[in-house]
Amino acid sequence: MKVNEYYRPSSLEDAYHKLQEDPKNSLLAGGLWIKKMGLSVNCLIDLSTLGLNKISETKDEIIVGSMVTQRDFENSPIIKSLFNDSLAFAVREVMGVNFRNIATIGGSIMGRYTFSDVICGLLPYDVSLEFYPSQKMSLEDYLNYKGRLNAILVNIHIKKGNGKGYFKKVKTTALDFPILNVAISKVNGKYAVAVGSRPMVASLAHKAMDYLNKESKPDFNKAAELVLEELSCLDNMNASKEYRQDLTKVYVRRGLEEVSK
Amino acid sequence: MLVKFYLNDVEVSFDVAPNEYLAKTLRSHGIKSVKVGCNESSCGSCTLLIDGKPMMSCSILSASIEGKHITTIEGIQEEAAKIAHYFGEEGADQCGFCNVGLALTVYALKRELKNPSEEEINNYIVGNLCRCSGLQSQLKAIKAYLKEE
Ligand SMILES: Cc1cc2nc3c(=O)[nH]c(=O)nc-3n(C[C@H](O)[C@H](O)[C@H](O)COP(=O)(O)OP(=O)(O)OC[C@H]3O[C@@H](n4cnc5c(N)ncnc54)[C@H](O)[C@@H]3O)c2cc1C
Ligand code: FES
Ligand code: FES
Repeated sequence: MKVNEYYRPSSLEDAYHKLQEDPKNSLLAGGLWIKKMGLSVNCLIDLSTLGLNKISETKDEIIVGSMVTQRDFENSPIIKSLFNDSLAFAVREVMGVNFRNIATIGGSIMGRYTFSDVICGLLPYDVSLEFYPSQKMSLEDYLNYKGRLNAILVNIHIKKGNGKGYFKKVKTTALDFPILNVAISKVNGKYAVAVGSRPMVASLAHKAMDYLNKESKPDFNKAAELVLEELSCLDNMNASKEYRQDLTKVYVRRGLEEVSK
Repeated sequence: MLVKFYLNDVEVSFDVAPNEYLAKTLRSHGIKSVKVGCNESSCGSCTLLIDGKPMMSCSILSASIEGKHITTIEGIQEEAAKIAHYFGEEGADQCGFCNVGLALTVYALKRELKNPSEEEINNYIVGNLCRCSGLQSQLKAIKAYLKEE
């Protein structure tokens, strides 16, 4: 990795100005993906000293700073108290503790990785992203946003509610990337279903969700079929399209059963 | 650029390049106990403690550790000897590349988790990849070390 300069900004404003100075300047969170990509960067702007590593709550929502590490997220009593701890499950199987003490929630979202456990795990909840300069958008809108958003993710807002969640990562060995992710929620009586690593960035299955939320006694097998009608699976070196489709059917049904108990 | 931090409680300051990783900085200043295996944030052999938490030093930029406390195996010699004893008793010791990172992870585990279950221990050490000597013997050794007051 080539880097000309390392910069420690004094404020978000300072970091943002530095980011705009050169298209080859890059924000640095945990730096794990930046290292993996081995990119040539002019200036790395370290976000670690801007106080973005806190988790707090209000009556209605949980606010997660973008620099909160995956490990602090999974251990947070505030996060654990929500939706039977299922949010924490979305990061608990990413590599080992010595990795998750470095990787951040913000870096995990901003990369829009096709294999992301974190994105899939957050998607079925009411999650919005707060950027600097002032801008807010839902996680789903960010995933569908065309092009690169040249802004700083400051906080992730997770709306509170009553209900349960389910998260499944299918992988071959303990430290592998996922072959498939399924995340399901039933919050305030409403279902949401997300499937990721198909291998594409996670998406909500809107057709299945409309069906589930309209019917008084929905058929979970039918819902799983609707997920596959809407969200395509592909082959890659980790798994075939057909295997991923079979896994989707099974884990969507199981997840729906789980959150409906 | 100059970066100042605490290495095993001693204040040090080293001149580092902006793309230099902590494992390289430490090794080039004689701390050869820090091992680089994969250099890909995957195997955990480079694990050391930053402010008490296990992290992969091959993947932390040296410039970013200003003011932090770094602990290598040299900083926990007494505890390392105890860990080595239990690993030896169970025939669980690993090669020179893996031992150090795992010992630091086990040391951090004892301080972070109170009465961990077997599953919690497994999850905590999974980021230290090699299990040449077998997971069962390592588990036994770790449990014995955790029991010690
Ligand atoms: C070997 C390896 C294995 C992995 N396995 C998995 C896995 O199994 N499952 C999984 O879900 N993930 C996995 N990941 C991804 C990992 O969990 C993190 O999501 C990833 O490393 C990014 O987090 P980071 O903090 O390191 O971000 P960085 O590498 O620092 O940044 C990533 C990108 O996001 C940008 N960025 C960071 N923070 C902000 C911000 N606040 N505002 C705007 N932009 C920002 C950076 O400029 C950069 O472009 C893996 C990564 C590696 C290297
Ligand atoms: S050498 Fe750092 S994780 Fe392998
Ligand atoms: S490679 Fe070190 S113990 Fe297996």
